[in-house]
Amino acid sequence: MSGCATLHRKAVPLGQASDCSPDALDRLSARQDDFGPLTDTRTLECALSSLRGSHDTALRRSALGGRLCLYLAERNPDPNAREKLAAEGVRFAEAALALGADGDGRVHYYLATNLGLAVREHMTLAVENLPRLESELQRAVALNPDTDGGGPLRVLGVLYLKAPPWPAGIGDGDKALELLKRAVESHPEHPLNHLFYAQALWNLDEDAAIEPVKRELALGMRLLNEGSWDFNRNSWNEEFMQFQQEIGESGR
Amino acid sequence: MTFPKNPILLVLACWLTSMAASAADTHPPLLVCYPGGAVNEQDAKGAMDALLRVVERVGQWPQNSFTSQFTVKADECKRLLTEQRPGFAITSLGLFLELRDRHNLVPVVQPKIHGRVSDRYRVMVRQGKYKTLDELKGKALGGTVLEEPAFIGRIVFAGKIDPAGFFKLTPTRQAIRALRALDKGEIDAVLLNEQQYSALGSLQLAHPLEAVFASEDIPLMGLVADGKATTAEERARFAKALEGMCADTEGKKLCEMFGVESFVAADRAAFEPMIQQWAGGN
Repeated sequence: MSGCATLHRKAVPLGQASDCSPDALDRLSARQDDFGPLTDTRTLECALSSLRGSHDTALRRSALGGRLCLYLAERNPDPNAREKLAAEGVRFAEAALALGADGDGRVHYYLATNLGLAVREHMTLAVENLPRLESELQRAVALNPDTDGGGPLRVLGVLYLKAPPWPAGIGDGDKALELLKRAVESHPEHPLNHLFYAQALWNLDEDAAIEPVKRELALGMRLLNEGSWDFNRNSWNEEFMQFQQEIGESGR
Repeated sequence: MTFPKNPILLVLACWLTSMAASAADTHPPLLVCYPGGAVNEQDAKGAMDALLRVVERVGQWPQNSFTSQFTVKADECKRLLTEQRPGFAITSLGLFLELRDRHNLVPVVQPKIHGRVSDRYRVMVRQGKYKTLDELKGKALGGTVLEEPAFIGRIVFAGKIDPAGFFKLTPTRQAIRALRALDKGEIDAVLLNEQQYSALGSLQLAHPLEAVFASEDIPLMGLVADGKATTAEERARFAKALEGMCADTEGKKLCEMFGVESFVAADRAAFEPMIQQWAGGN
């Protein structure tokens, strides 16, 4: 990402397509909701490879491209490849919107999450894109808040939690808390909802919130350890550990 | 994605870490102290590291040349200053005043915001509810700038009020939260700095606010140096580098996003009254 000015334009090679099912493309449309964080990597790669070669307008107008790129990017340990996949996810979502997918909250969600992943290591680019991230996620919350285990609620909540607060930026602890509470209540099965809700509670009041913070953290860790989150377990576990260290260092 | 929550200090920190590395390579390049800051230290370091890579590219230093240290704990800041003696540091004005004698600290640069290199603090209340500061005795005062009560008492209130004894202090991590609490009547007053006060118009509050107290002009704090651990030449190099920051392509974006017009050489004369006020508070 030279000079941090723009997103990557080159796609990541996905290896041999010969071991992918020949009818993968035909099945993509019907199966697209099946692809998620629990799908194995090769299946995601085959689906993305098929989609890259497809001119099917219905598929191109869907959230599928963004979805595949996000889950592949999230689990890719190579930062360069991760950014390229995320940038490709942004292009898929932008193309879907151009084809008339504005009413599909999933497209807005995968656009925002890919964009966030593509720019997060590039501070100026990240801050430049804050307004766009916020507006895409607001659309996703309004249209499809349940996507990806409450993903729109979770990610918009985190955005408000982490962004520079008023008056410098859009950061707002109250909005973050409200969204993350909704995420936990509507999707208690997702470990990250509990982690980020705990962070929002901690941000609100360290003194008063320590017990609920510990409770949410413990619940999230148990869900992570006991659930089928193999492809994200390491990176998410690291986030849990960092936060646990933070609240531990406060002397409590 | 992580973002610093103390915009000006962190922009300065990110930029300066690179400059300090070559100036004092036997010490930590830059110590950033943000007492009571809302920023997660891990997030702050991540954000600064990301920005440092930009600085390295712009300054044609090898990638990953520079590091920084960051803390939100005043005690940790004091320990690091004592043990590691960094040549340069970014501190609050309160920490500078408290530590300047012990560590020979001298101001090097200040940010310029809205054409000013000074700050002004105001105690805001719901319009008509209180008319004077005296009426707020024993009342709840919120705000993000209450983590250093000695600074607030000696400098902001010019030694006339001991905030911890006068008010019921309710520090908050975000000014917007304190203002909402004021709007709902949960607290009685909020102490705002100039940047926060100037942005009040962007909020939709149910009740209009007014100021019952405004401080004198107080210099904005930026970068300080250990006058014995650094040379005049090194300090001049820092000042020069910073004065060019907001003219650089990437640096300009950072300056704009946090409302900093430029960085200017510190006006040391402006700090003298603060130093005297601080000493008088003892």
